[in-house]
Amino acid sequence: MTEIEKKKKRDKIKFTTISVISLCVFFGVWYVATAVMHLMPDYSLPSPVQVVEAFFYKLGNKAPDGGTLFQHIAASLKVALTGYLLGAVIGIPLGICMAWFRRIDLFVTPLFDLVRPVPTIAWIPLMILWFGIGLGAKAAIIFVSAFIPCVINSYAGIKQTRPVHLWVAQTFGASRTKMLFTVAIPTAMPLIFTGLRISLQAAWTTLCAAEMLAANKGLGYMIQLNRSLARADLIIVGMLTIGLIGTIFSVVLGKMEKKMVRGGSKS
Amino acid sequence: MKHMNEKMEKTLYAVLAIASFFLAWELLTAFTPAGETTPGPVEVLRLLFTSFFEPIGKFTIYGHLYYSIRRVLVGYVVATVLGIIVGIAMGTSRYAEAIIKPLFELIRPIPPIAWIPLVILWFGVGELPKYTIIFIGSFTNVTLNAYTGAQRVDPQLIGCAKMLGTSDRDIFLRVILPSSLPQIFAGMQVALSTAWMAVLAAEMIGAQEGCGWIILRGSDTTNIPLVLVGMVVIGVVGLLLATIMRIAERRLCAWNRMDV
Amino acid sequence: MSEEKVKVKVTHLTKKFGDLLVLDDISFNVREGEFLCIVGPTGCGKTTFLNSLTKLYDITAGEILVNGEPVDLKKHNIAYIFQEYSTFPWLKVEENIRYGLKLKKLPEDVIRERTDEVIRMVGLEEFRNYYPDQLSASMLQRVVIARAFAVKPELLIMDEPYGQLDISLRFKLEDELIRLWQETKTTVIFITHNIEEAVYLSERILVLTNKPTKIKKEIVNTLPRPRDVTAPDFVEIRNHVTDLIKWW
Repeated sequence: MTEIEKKKKRDKIKFTTISVISLCVFFGVWYVATAVMHLMPDYSLPSPVQVVEAFFYKLGNKAPDGGTLFQHIAASLKVALTGYLLGAVIGIPLGICMAWFRRIDLFVTPLFDLVRPVPTIAWIPLMILWFGIGLGAKAAIIFVSAFIPCVINSYAGIKQTRPVHLWVAQTFGASRTKMLFTVAIPTAMPLIFTGLRISLQAAWTTLCAAEMLAANKGLGYMIQLNRSLARADLIIVGMLTIGLIGTIFSVVLGKMEKKMVRGGSKS
Repeated sequence: MKHMNEKMEKTLYAVLAIASFFLAWELLTAFTPAGETTPGPVEVLRLLFTSFFEPIGKFTIYGHLYYSIRRVLVGYVVATVLGIIVGIAMGTSRYAEAIIKPLFELIRPIPPIAWIPLVILWFGVGELPKYTIIFIGSFTNVTLNAYTGAQRVDPQLIGCAKMLGTSDRDIFLRVILPSSLPQIFAGMQVALSTAWMAVLAAEMIGAQEGCGWIILRGSDTTNIPLVLVGMVVIGVVGLLLATIMRIAERRLCAWNRMDV
Repeated sequence: MSEEKVKVKVTHLTKKFGDLLVLDDISFNVREGEFLCIVGPTGCGKTTFLNSLTKLYDITAGEILVNGEPVDLKKHNIAYIFQEYSTFPWLKVEENIRYGLKLKKLPEDVIRERTDEVIRMVGLEEFRNYYPDQLSASMLQRVVIARAFAVKPELLIMDEPYGQLDISLRFKLEDELIRLWQETKTTVIFITHNIEEAVYLSERILVLTNKPTKIKKEIVNTLPRPRDVTAPDFVEIRNHVTDLIKWW
């Protein structure tokens, strides 16, 4: 190895160690402040050990919030993915059509701009009033939160199409439809995937909010209920689970994007 | 000649679209069973108008707007200032990065909304928990963008400045900060919309006033016109905030815009 | 001397953008199998001219006939090589080349045969499975040329395809183009602002004026191939064309 390579390796080890130490210090301070010094009551800030215990406890026990951790996760996932897939399946083609057909663009975009500034969360009470407290209302809300980024990104992706590419297709005798499918949509793929990624995050976040307001299972419900029971340890378990699943979504979609989308992301 | 027609065509369609939206809304609520629960646009507009004079709950619309916006501003401003400092620190110092990044990555995936129950448990239902939620929501966005922005500063610029004898403080203020400004601004725009969403969530879950509270109140009392009025107000404010940010960006980052 | 068939017949081609007259009543013919170069001062509307020829732009007046019929991209087998890089970044080299063939719904064995032939002609066999972002500029242009020749076009239109490349690459690709043209006997309309290139490649040169564009002069170029850019008769033609462009 050259000198530079050796130094880089040394630096990497040095900084990774610092990171590890930093994490240990964080958990250490947390532990000391809670389990040893009892700076705050257990019910509001548990020690890391208690959080871990609560996690294992929750894997198998339904009490005190009516479901095991897995049941809550399953309930949340079911609603989130349903709304998300609906939002993507309707949003992506709509975005594509809005960008490709001029008439549709002129007519639908103003309507869309009317709805867009309203944050998805603000739809929750209205949906509850219309659909009641059940899968329907929540799926509708998730649908809206996933739908909007999918439309926006698919639209932007199609609009990115370079005229010269369309001309190439045209000189080879392609019809408008052929141009859409062989040129415009492939061009839009990177942004379509970005939209898929963003809307999944949005769907997941909005779901938590919806579950806090109107549900009887799911991770959002779990942390909300445990607040009224003053079980901070379970709240933290819930929060970390929500964060973890969000990260898994990001990673999975990131990998899918790398495999399926090629070229154009650099342009 | 064709170009002028284009702009007119665009406006015509827009007007047509919005007009038919309201018309459809009015027709649906006047002539179908859905109209028994959902009000038409006229009723919503009337309620919106009166809300400026008659209180909903404790305040008129002005009061609620005041609370929501104040909460957003406090949390947002603190988050932005701290976020820029932390982000740039992470982007320029490998030590800072090594220390802070693991903690940051632990906190980041957790959506701000998920913090609400814990924060309410800690701080009750006053103003502090709301500021905290908004802070958490905005902080991660600004920090992340300041971090990547600072990382991407052209090292040659910094080298030049050092060679000319610039102090570290000045390097920060006059080289790093301006270079990363476009990226920081992008983060601030996202953070603002996140903050607006966070305040609504916080107000829907534990508050007695504010725009988010209005829609919740409407929902609790099955007062759909109120819910719709709330949504309209929220949408308008959200739009205003986004527009202000865009105008600010145009002024401050004019040198970065490629279509100028 | 075989009878000379007219491939492209352009009469009174006029193009206006709003009130701005760009192409002013242009008429000319192109023989079948001819290599025609079009030169003119920068900004004289060469690209507008080409785009109007292929109906990518709507024309204000005039008639463009290919094989005696109005030009129709779906009916006529036309290939166009643009000034900008036009490879599809999401397709590999081989897939890019197959694009025109697939669009014209040719049978798979024909597609495979032509693709192989054309990849070999431009010397890109090793790079079949590469993506455009992995290739150099000259390789990209060769992909575009291969893609055009793969459909065995009856009319090949090229808009300053070698403008971005350096001299040695240019010479190489120009020779390659002549070889391909001689093998396939396509009709070529080639636009360039590089006069040496025009004299090197063409059998006939059309010199255009500034806007509103008309045909200033037509120069027949019968130098034998391979041509020597330093030979006196070459230089004479080159100077002649340069003079025509300089003094409008």
